[in-house]
Amino acid sequence: MSVHHKNDMDLKQEMQLVEAAKIDPARFNVLYDRYYKSIFVFIYRRTADEDVTADITSQVFLKALINIKKYEFKGVPFSAWLFRIAFNEVNMYFRKNSTNRVVSLEKNGLHQIVQEVEEGENVDAQQRMMTALKQLDVDDVQLIELRFFEKRSFAEVGTIVGITETNAKVKVYRILDKLKKILGKKNN
Amino acid sequence: MTDINFNIDQPDLPEERINKHKDFSKLMYNYQLATKPLNKTPLHKYKHRRIYLIILLVLLVMFIIIEVMDKDEKPQEPATQEQIDTPGN
Repeated sequence: MSVHHKNDMDLKQEMQLVEAAKIDPARFNVLYDRYYKSIFVFIYRRTADEDVTADITSQVFLKALINIKKYEFKGVPFSAWLFRIAFNEVNMYFRKNSTNRVVSLEKNGLHQIVQEVEEGENVDAQQRMMTALKQLDVDDVQLIELRFFEKRSFAEVGTIVGITETNAKVKVYRILDKLKKILGKKNN
Repeated sequence: MTDINFNIDQPDLPEERINKHKDFSKLMYNYQLATKPLNKTPLHKYKHRRIYLIILLVLLVMFIIIEVMDKDEKPQEPATQEQIDTPGN
């Protein structure tokens, strides 16, 4: 089970908080306290700049508060909606600024993706995998990042990116195939 | 090729550093700014009523002038035969 999963009770409680915030924006503070750190970390892992992250995070919560009345529960935690806003804000930041994207990964995540594409498990394979990742489109890298480096469920990946769960699954497996081909070419 | 910098096993920022940026009252202030209607005073309660009345008057006069000019520009109907053949001619 991923760290981002919640049980039905949690989801119900969270929905009550959302409904309260829809009526009185000041009640949003509970959700703000609960998710500030995770949204901040999500953005920081993609920008690696503290001040930029602080700016984007405040923008995310402002947009969330302005649009909270439009929020509808779709079976995934409220945080997935916040992550979606954060995801879009980060993309907007990179469109406006010509700085390089940052992908923060743990060796475990890299190890997992290396296993998925059936590569030998050694340091060289991990290095080649990183080079292969650089050859993917930005959208593909983001999907890999969400699924393997942040260990999110396909439902959550779909919500964040704005596609269905099935579509997220299909896309991730297509990207893995692409990686296999890239690594295969390199080996030949 | 995508321009990506990989950060491997880099620790997240310490909680105190993250909390330093956390400010709910600032968020609420920005929210009020973003949602406050631009024109707070309804038009009819506006201080400079006279200016509005003058503008309205000018517009009314312009409308009347345009109407009168339109009527003048309309071609006159040709005179009927009866009018031409008046007795005495």
